[in-house]
Amino acid sequence: MNTMSGDIRRDLGVRRYPILVYALTPLAALVLQAWLPRLLAGNAWFDLPLVVTVYFALVQRIPIQGTLTGAVMGLFEDALTGHPIGVNGIAKTVVGFLASSVGIRIDVDNHTIRLGLTFLLSLLSSAIYVAVYRALLGLRLEWSWVIELIKCVANTLIALVLFPVLDRLQIRD
Amino acid sequence: MESFFIRYRNVLVLLTLLVVQIVGLAVQVRRTDAGRNTMDPQDGPGVRLIRLWADAVVSPPERLIHQSKLGASALWNQYIDLRHTQQDNQELQKTIDRLRLEQAALLEDAKQGQRLQALQNFQEKYIYKTVAAQAIGSSGSDQSRVFTIDKGSNYGLKPDMAVITPDGIVGKVREVFPGTAQVLAINDQSSGAGVILETTRLRGILRGNAIGQPQIVGILADQRIQPGEKVLTAGGDLIFPRGLAVGVVEKVVRDPERDAFIDVIVKPAAHLDRLDEVLVITATEARFSEQQQQDLAASEALKGPEAAAIEEQKKASAIMAERLPGLIDPKLPPDQQPLLDSTNPSLLGRPPQALHPDRFTPGGANQSAPGSGNPAGTDTDKKAVTPGSTANPATPAAPHDSATPQRKPQP
Repeated sequence: MNTMSGDIRRDLGVRRYPILVYALTPLAALVLQAWLPRLLAGNAWFDLPLVVTVYFALVQRIPIQGTLTGAVMGLFEDALTGHPIGVNGIAKTVVGFLASSVGIRIDVDNHTIRLGLTFLLSLLSSAIYVAVYRALLGLRLEWSWVIELIKCVANTLIALVLFPVLDRLQIRD
Repeated sequence: MESFFIRYRNVLVLLTLLVVQIVGLAVQVRRTDAGRNTMDPQDGPGVRLIRLWADAVVSPPERLIHQSKLGASALWNQYIDLRHTQQDNQELQKTIDRLRLEQAALLEDAKQGQRLQALQNFQEKYIYKTVAAQAIGSSGSDQSRVFTIDKGSNYGLKPDMAVITPDGIVGKVREVFPGTAQVLAINDQSSGAGVILETTRLRGILRGNAIGQPQIVGILADQRIQPGEKVLTAGGDLIFPRGLAVGVVEKVVRDPERDAFIDVIVKPAAHLDRLDEVLVITATEARFSEQQQQDLAASEALKGPEAAAIEEQKKASAIMAERLPGLIDPKLPPDQQPLLDSTNPSLLGRPPQALHPDRFTPGGANQSAPGSGNPAGTDTDKKAVTPGSTANPATPAAPHDSATPQRKPQP
C-alpha cells in the first residue's frame, strides 16, 4: 500500500492508517473475542475478527490484502479452538476477498451499505463454516440457524459502533 | 503468460490460500473403522506450531487483562468490602470443624474400601496431586467450548489430564504449551467422558450439544431415569477418577437420529460458563496423599475430646456392669447361676401364692394336672425368663448389656 502514490490512492479512495492501528486492531479483536465470552457466560454470539476483517477489506479495496487478512484472522481463531485449523480460515478468506472486491465498486463511506454488507458477509461466513465442517470434512456438528442469525445481527451492531471509531483513526492527506 | 498472472492475481491468491487450507484440513481429519470422519486427537507438528503461535500472540494480553481484573477484585474484596467478615469467619471455622469430623469418618470408610478392593485385586485410583490454575481465556467461538488456563508444561501438565473444580468435573487438558494449556470442556461437541447414573447405574458417554449443554448419549430409552438423578464419572475413560460429581439429570429427550435411544440432558455441577479457578489432576495413586493423611490426623486430633468423652462413658458403663450383680455369670456353670439361687430372695420378685390356683396360675397347671406336664415345671419357668436362655430357641436372646432392665437387681 505504501508503494502506491498519493494521487492513485486518492483516485481509488484507498485509506491509510497508522501502523499501530494495523497491528493492534486485529490483535485486540482476537484477544477480546477470546476474553469477552468469559464475561458473557460463554455465549460468544459475535465475531469481532470477522468485523475487523470486513472493515479493513472494505476500506483498503485491495483483494489480495483483504484475502490475506481474512486468512490470518481465521487461522488464529481456529488455533484457539479445539477444532481443525482452516475452517474459519477458509470462511474468512472468502469473506475478505469478497469484501475487498465489493469495496472497489461501492461507496464505502455509506454506513448503511457497510452495515448491510457486514450482515450478509457474516451470514456467508457462517454458511461456509458449517458447509466446510459438515460437508467437506464430514465431521459431526450441531448448529442452529437462529443462533447464527443472532450472531449476524450482533456483528452488525458491533460494526455500527466500531466502524465510525476506526474511521476517525485514518490518516488524512 | 505474465499478463495472465497479473490480471488474475487476486483470484489466484484466493485459490492458492483456499487449496492450502483444504489440504491442511485433510491432514487433520481421519476416517475411523466405523466409516465416520473424526478429528485426529494428536495434532501434527505444523498444526501444533500454528496453535503455539496463536497462543503466544493471544495469551499474554489475556493474562494481562486477567491479572488486572484480579488485582481490582482483590483491592475491592480485601480492603474495601469487608462487611460481615468476622461473622463469616466464625461460621466458616465451625463448618471446617464439622467437615473435618465428617471427613475422618469418610476416610475411615475409604480405607476400608481400599482394603476390600485390595482383597479383590482391584486398584482404585484416588486423586493424589492437583495443580491449581486460573482460566484466562476462551476459544471465542460458540461452537467450541475450549478455554485457556495459565499453567502449562512448566507445571507438569500433560494432555488428557482431568480438570475439575470442587463442585464437579470441568473437562480435560487438550493442548499443552510451556506457560498455558487448552482445556476441552465437557460441554464441547467433540468431548467425551464416561459417566454413570447414580441410582439406575446406567452408563453412557457425556458430550456437549449445539447450545453447550452436556448430554449423555447412547442410552436406550429407560423410564427409570428421572430429573434430579445424580450423574457421576464412571472411571472407564482413564481420564476422570471414578465417582466425581458431573451434575444432575435435567431432562430426557429422544435421540433425533436413533429411535430407541435417548439423550439425557445434564445440568453440570461445575459452573462451566463462569469458570475462574480450576484444579488439574496431575497424578492419581491407589493410596491417600500426604495432604489427606495430614487432614485425617488433624481431624482425629480435633475430634479427640469428643472421642475421649465417649470412651470414658464406655469405660464407666463397663465398670458398673462388673460391679452390679448379674443374672448370668459366665464363669459359673448353668445350674449354679445366681438366678437359680433360692437363698437369694431379692433376685426376682416372685408373685404371691394364689389362694385358689387354677391352670392359669404359674406352676399351677402342672400341679392341677399331674402327669400332663413337666414335673420340673418350676425350673422351666425360671429358665423361660432367663435372658439368653436356650430353652426356647425361637425366643431371641437379649444382648448382654448392663443397662438391660432384666439384669437390674430388685432392691
